[in-house]
Amino acid sequence: MERKLFLRQGFAALGISFIAPLANSCKKNDVTTDTTTDGSETGTGSGSDTCTVAPTETEGPFPTKNPSAYERSDITDGRSGYKLTVNITVGQVSKNCAALAGAIVDIWHCDAEGNYSEYGGTQMQSTNYTSVHFLRGRQTTDNNGLVTFTTIFPGWYQGRATHIHVHIYNASGTSLKVTQIAFPEGSGSALLAVNGYSKGMSGYTYNASDNIFSDDKDGVEMSTVTGDKTNGFSLAIQLNVP
Amino acid sequence: MGTRIITLCYRKIIDARSQKEWEKLVFEDTWKEFKMQSQLFNQENRYTTFSQLLLHVPASEKLHFLVSAAAVNYIKQLNNKIPDIVNNIGKIFLSFSKFYFEIINSDLQHKSVHSVAINFYSDPLRWHETIGDYLLLSADADGIEGQTSLYKIQPFVNIHSLQKEQNDGAIKR
Repeated sequence: MERKLFLRQGFAALGISFIAPLANSCKKNDVTTDTTTDGSETGTGSGSDTCTVAPTETEGPFPTKNPSAYERSDITDGRSGYKLTVNITVGQVSKNCAALAGAIVDIWHCDAEGNYSEYGGTQMQSTNYTSVHFLRGRQTTDNNGLVTFTTIFPGWYQGRATHIHVHIYNASGTSLKVTQIAFPEGSGSALLAVNGYSKGMSGYTYNASDNIFSDDKDGVEMSTVTGDKTNGFSLAIQLNVP
Repeated sequence: MGTRIITLCYRKIIDARSQKEWEKLVFEDTWKEFKMQSQLFNQENRYTTFSQLLLHVPASEKLHFLVSAAAVNYIKQLNNKIPDIVNNIGKIFLSFSKFYFEIINSDLQHKSVHSVAINFYSDPLRWHETIGDYLLLSADADGIEGQTSLYKIQPFVNIHSLQKEQNDGAIKR
């Protein structure tokens, strides 16, 4: 192992280094080998080498390059709630707020009950992998600087007004802006129509009392929301990056 | 002794030395995702390593979960079969539907330091007998006897959970 790599990895590297010599010394006296008759690679990856038979199966399935699970337009993942289409236009302040094409936009928000997709509190808690990243998505802006997501109207949780998190990166993944989208809350608003789902609005934190939105006097984080519960809602906002 | 129902956990380490194509893809994409997602907790670019982030920004613990999205689509390609772990006739035999992804180490400037682990949790197995160093296991924990496998526990594999089946067939944790 390269000395630099070893030093940087510290204990993680140390643990593996202890096991590797043992496994290798065992192999010398063992009838099992690391190579199958068809010559396919059967090394079991770091850490799993041991004195047991090597895999002797047809190789495959063959991996293909796959995008992150975030990269999809519909981020609902089976969560129930009123349909919400989110349209975010990214502008560039340095170019007079002209549309920024090719920007990567991540959004995430809570479900109708106010819960985010994340690991539970316990370390090493296992999760089914099929819908673990619900209500999180990533899209790249088109020539008009626009990205569109299909999701559900977010619920709310103690201490915060309803919101959607946004992280905008340039095409190479460098962070340009981390912000949040606020919802209009006056009479006739979608927020009041949804009425906090089963929670109601008792104890709700309105924008004026919200730690994040209360200082947004110019309304740059405020979205426009149209639609109704039957046909779904549509949110639009322009977010400008430096 | 009644039959015991166990689940196995295989902690697969993926780092710069990983050789298989699948491992290399997971390595590359999780490092890329780490670089993107870590900016959320490092907006002044003050830190360069995962351990610095954990020390100074406790919320960066979430990176384990956030970065796992880069691995999930590769995990789906495994078709519910735990990789690498074979029974005594050299066949992959463990199925899974649960996992836990963790970042062991990472460094924004040195990709060679990036190291992650995917913990695969097997579906329940019936542990019938222990023969020498081998466990005699069958995949079907629901009572119907399936095909059995002889398996020798190896490094990075743990018995993750254990239930005992009592004489009346009830399961006791």
